[in-house]
Order: sequence, then C-alpha cells, then structure tokens
Amino acid sequence: MGLDSFKRALWVYHLNTGSCNGCDIEILAALTPRYDAERFGIVLVGSPRHADVLLVTGPVTRQMESRLKRVYAQVPEPKMVMVVGSCGTEGGVFHESYNLIGPVDQCIPVDVYVPGCPPRPEAIIEGVVKAWLKLEKAQEPVAA
Amino acid sequence: MNEVLSPEQVVDSFKAVLKDGVTDSKIYRREVAVKKNVFTSIWIDLKREAFRRAVEHVCEIQEYPHLAIISSADLGDEVELIYHFTIYYGRHLQEISLGLRVRLPKSDLSIPTITDIIPGALFTERETQEMMGVEVVGIPDGRRLFIPDDFPEGVYPWRKDDTAPTDLLRVLPGRQQE
Amino acid sequence: MTSGATTLRYTIPVGPIHPALKEPIRLDLTVDGEEIVDVDVAVGQVHRGIEWIGTNRNNAIQNIYMAERVCGICNLCHPFAYIMAVEQAAGIDPPARAEYIRVIAAEMERIHSHLLWAGVAAHEIGFDSIFHLVWRVREEIMDLMEFITGNRVTKAMYQIGGVRRDITEEQFPRITQSLEYYKSIFGQLKTVFLDDITVKMRTRNVGILPTEDALKLTAVGPTTRASGVPKDVRQDQPYSAYADMEVKAVTPDMITGVVVGDVYDRIIVRLLEVKQSIEIIQQCLVQMPPGDILAEPKPAKLLNMLKKAEGEGVGRAEAPRGEVIHYVRMQADSDYLATWKIRAPTYPNLMSIPTILMAGQIADVPIAFASIDPCMSCTNRAIVVDRKSHKSFVLTDEELHRLSVEKTRKIEAESHDQ
Repeated sequence: MGLDSFKRALWVYHLNTGSCNGCDIEILAALTPRYDAERFGIVLVGSPRHADVLLVTGPVTRQMESRLKRVYAQVPEPKMVMVVGSCGTEGGVFHESYNLIGPVDQCIPVDVYVPGCPPRPEAIIEGVVKAWLKLEKAQEPVAA
Repeated sequence: MNEVLSPEQVVDSFKAVLKDGVTDSKIYRREVAVKKNVFTSIWIDLKREAFRRAVEHVCEIQEYPHLAIISSADLGDEVELIYHFTIYYGRHLQEISLGLRVRLPKSDLSIPTITDIIPGALFTERETQEMMGVEVVGIPDGRRLFIPDDFPEGVYPWRKDDTAPTDLLRVLPGRQQE
Repeated sequence: MTSGATTLRYTIPVGPIHPALKEPIRLDLTVDGEEIVDVDVAVGQVHRGIEWIGTNRNNAIQNIYMAERVCGICNLCHPFAYIMAVEQAAGIDPPARAEYIRVIAAEMERIHSHLLWAGVAAHEIGFDSIFHLVWRVREEIMDLMEFITGNRVTKAMYQIGGVRRDITEEQFPRITQSLEYYKSIFGQLKTVFLDDITVKMRTRNVGILPTEDALKLTAVGPTTRASGVPKDVRQDQPYSAYADMEVKAVTPDMITGVVVGDVYDRIIVRLLEVKQSIEIIQQCLVQMPPGDILAEPKPAKLLNMLKKAEGEGVGRAEAPRGEVIHYVRMQADSDYLATWKIRAPTYPNLMSIPTILMAGQIADVPIAFASIDPCMSCTNRAIVVDRKSHKSFVLTDEELHRLSVEKTRKIEAESHDQ
C-alpha cells in the first residue's frame, strides 16, 4: 500500500457535531496501544489551524452547523475531510428529525466516508490512510 | 413522618390531606425474577389546584424526595403531565415510585413551579416549557434548554396537533416518501 | 492577584495534545482573578429529537435500536430501561434466564465505562501515560463483550421479552478468565489512582458537592454516592436479576472512613464499583437458571402483540452514570408509541455543576467537570467573563487542559522539593 512512502506526520482535528459518542470512543481506541495508529504518525491536535485532516462525527444539529462551517474554514489547505459513522455519511437512524440539518456533505465537501455504527478501529485507520494517500496526491506538483 | 408507610397508607395520607383534590389512585405491583420480590409503584391523579399542596405533602412523607423527571403527553384537548417521584430510597427493596398526574386543558396550559420546594426541578420544567408549550408560572429561569434560539416560536416538538414541527423536517434526497 | 485579562492570554499550544472525550456543552464562567464566581451551563448541541422520532416514525421494536444510540458509552442501560417500561405497559414477562443474561451484559458495560472514565480523568490531570495504560486494560473487557454479544459498542443484545443471544456453558470459562485478569490488576489500579500523592493533591477538596445540595438537586449515580447519599436503583428498587441479589450502594467511607464529596471520593466510588461488578457477574454465572431466553421468539408475533397493547410503564435502571428512567405509554391499534420520555443520568447531574465549580480555580475546571462523568458529547468552549475588567475572552478546551496540566507539574515540582 505504500505506507513507507509517507513524507510527514498527519495531524487530525476531531469535531463532534452531535454524535452519540460511539464513533468518538472508537476513534480514541484507535490511538491507544492496542491499535496504535500513532506509530504511523497520526496524531490528534487541539486546534483546527494545525490540522491536515478534519475528522467529523455525528449528524449535524442546528446548533453545530455554523461551528462546523467555521472550523472547516480554519483548516489550512491542502485539507481532507473525513466522516466517521453512518449518521454523518447519510443519516443512519437519525435520517429525519426537526433539529438535524442532514449528513455532513450537505454542509461541507467530504473526501472520505467511513460507514458503520460505529465502525471498528481498523476501519477508521483504513479511512485515515485513504485520506492520507489522497492528500499526498493532492500535494504532488502538477506535471508541466 | 419518617417511618416507612405501606403503599396503601401513602395513598390514604394523600386523600386525607387533599380531600377531593385526588381524583383517582392506583397501586401497581409486579413480581421480579426468580425470588419473586415485589416492585411497587403508586399513581395518583390530581387536580391542578391541589398540585402544589401535593408536592409539599410528598416532602412531608420523605425528606428531599427524588424527582426523576416530568413527562408529558398530548391527549388531543388536554395535556397530561406526570411528575415521577421516588420515596424511601437508600434502603434495600424499600423504594416506591410515585407518579403524580395532572391534566391541563389546552386552552389554559399553565402550572405552578416547584423549584422553590425542589431546586432540582429546574431543568425538567424548562424542558416541559419549550417542548410542550406548558407555561410554568414563577420559574426562575425560563430560557430554552435544548432547542436552539433561532427555532421558531410556537412550534412544540412533542405535540401532535398543528404546532408539531412537521415543516422543519429535512428528508434526504434519496429517501423521499411518495 | 492581578485581574484575569492579563494573566490568561489566548496562546497557541505547542505540541500534539489528545483532546480526550469531552462533551459539546457550553460553560459560561465568571471569574474574579483565578477564582470562579458564577457558572452558567448551556446545553442542546446534541439534541437530535429522539423522542419525536420514537413516537412518529419507528415502531416499538425499532425504538430499541434508537435507544441504544442515545449514548455510545452507556449503551445497554437505555434499552434496558426502555424494555422494562414496554414490558410493564404490554404485560409481557421475560423468562428468568434472560434476566440474568441482561444483568451480566449490563455489569460488563459498567466495568468498561468506569475504566474509560478513569483514563479520561488521568488525562485531564496530565498523566497521559496512565490514560493509555488504562485504555489498554479496557480492551480486555471489550474483547469479552465482542465474544458474548458480537460487537464492541452497539450490541443489540436485548429484545422485548428477553434477550437475543444466549450465554452458554461453553462460554463461561472465557468470562471467568477475563474476570480473574481484572481481579489480579485491581490492586495496581488502586495504587495508581488512590495512593499517588499528586493525584491526591489535585483531587482532594476539589469540586466538592455537599450532601444537602446533592439531595436538593436530585443528583444521581456515583456523583451523589460520593457525597454520601446511598441512592442506587440496584439496591433500592431492584429490577431484573438484581432482585435476587443484595447489591449495596458504594460510598467512599468504605475506604477512607469519611465522606467529603470531592473528586477523590468519586474516583474511589467508581473503582470500588468495578470490583463490585466483577463480583456480581460471578454470582450471576453461578446462579443462572436454565430455560428459554425469549418470551415470544417470533418478531412478527411480538410486533402484533405490541400493536394491541395498551397501558403505561416506567422503567428505571442504574447506568454507569446514575439512574436512567424511561416512561412509555402505548395505545391499542397504533404502530407507534403514544408517548416516550427518556431521561439520561447526566441531566440532573448537570444542575450540580455550578455548585461543584464555584469558588474553585479555572485550572480545576477540566477535572471537576469530568468527575461527574458527563455523557452528552463534549465541552467545546468556555466563555470567561472577568468581573473586574468586564472583558470576556474565550478559553477553548485546549487552554483549559493546558492550565490543568501546568498545575499538576507545579504541584509535582513542589512535592519533590520537600
């Protein structure tokens, strides 16, 4: 797959737009010693201005919509957006309600989807690697 | 009164204090698991005028009663509120659930607050106010709790009549219903 | 103390940080120097309208899976309370073997949730290595849950009238092996969390909730037990297989002999409850009766029965965070429930946040807030208003966490100097 070809570490900012926390704990479990995504250089950062990848979970509630758009604007280019969980991908069990704006791609453009309710940590790591590969391709200089 | 009363004695004490403020009462018992221990809950129906006195009486039966939640139901012309209390906690197999039921006509949806008697009722009264449209008279902090501030006024999510939020639903493009 | 605006500036933190699980909730703090004088809690960022969905769009069996997704951490307690309420309303009695299986699954979930919380608490104080170690230890119970129920997080184990999967005799040795592992490391967990000097200095007398306030504000769960109020649904109004056992509410005076009601006491209560859960599971394995696991095995017939049911029911269960209550009302000839009310345990505990944070320091906000084990999806920012200068500035959870870690390092340095 070319894991030895990554040129630098990948910094991820995690945003919760109203999820039940199931996906969030599987994301954190992916970083703990059992699955240990950190050995690839994947790390969670505390500010969107440092991030390469924006990791979004949850169906977007009305209160969180403007925050989602603001955080998206703060992440510097080149950036990737990754959605974890069925509710962000296409609604899941929450596909129709009075306080939900809809899945994440109705608000911001999304690059990688990881479906599941919640997806296993292995699936989340695969999703991050896919985002990584896409990001590296986006950073390659355009052939003259 | 700090000795443990039986469920029948609890109901009788309510009837003695409130007289015709109590319109109905029911005791429900259920046996559980292998040893068949009994689990009890009491339901008391009240008139709105007797409501505050009833809550004070619960405090007389149990110091600091536990208020779990206020649930509400839309019954067409009326709204029914149930205040779920529990008494005699802290002792093995002794706790009894107590549900105080009040019916309010939709033409006059208001009920007095009980936050001066039980401060822990604040959040649940705020929620009832915003979700069902019941006015809680005398509430110290009447702001919205769960619904965002830009949600339209007069739309009450738990109602089944024309104030229900049917216009605010967002159905996904792939899931349109015919 | 100088005015707050000059000592706390919004700086960009250096180095990677783990924003551990926090809930999207907004805290508005008013400070006077370093001390907090007023707190306002604003919630609602996770409001998904589950009760509306449950009464307008889903039938009674689909609501079980809806109830599971109210919270991903305390995953089995919501279906547990919901199913008890529906069984009361519809008059269905689950067989005794199913009750025992339900209790075993619920206690396993309690172990996982308390270990998760212990890791988060260690991270808030600044001991990231303990966070990683405790979550590694937690993987053992996640493996066990996958072995028994088929999934790590959303397990879909319960059904109205029983459970969907059986725990057979062949599976018992595997369960016993995991329980023995946890019993063997329990001593180490106790040493790490309760005997460490820095942990004690950071948590003793921090975030105190007095007993009377816990009673007046109707707090539930370990938050109220740590303040000396022995409220535990498994002891007071036992449901399911707990009614055959004697579960005692855990209070901190079992180890220290005195009740203070601070963060340290809440750590004690949760660690002792892990031990208690191990003992309950072992008792269930010994006492489990033979028999069916479902009162009505065919879902179509069950759905028919529920459609004709009429009545109301209240289900109360003890989640890892406290008492969870579901109220259900059913009407005959309707696919949908007439009324469904859910109340998660963090709801009343949030009302005690102002009392817990008051007169404390800003650096103590992360650990004091995390000590009630909030389960609503993340504190994302705190807006701080300085009373003296009337300036308001924003502290993200980033900043709060950094302040908390700095305080720990300072305490450690001082204790080494002595």
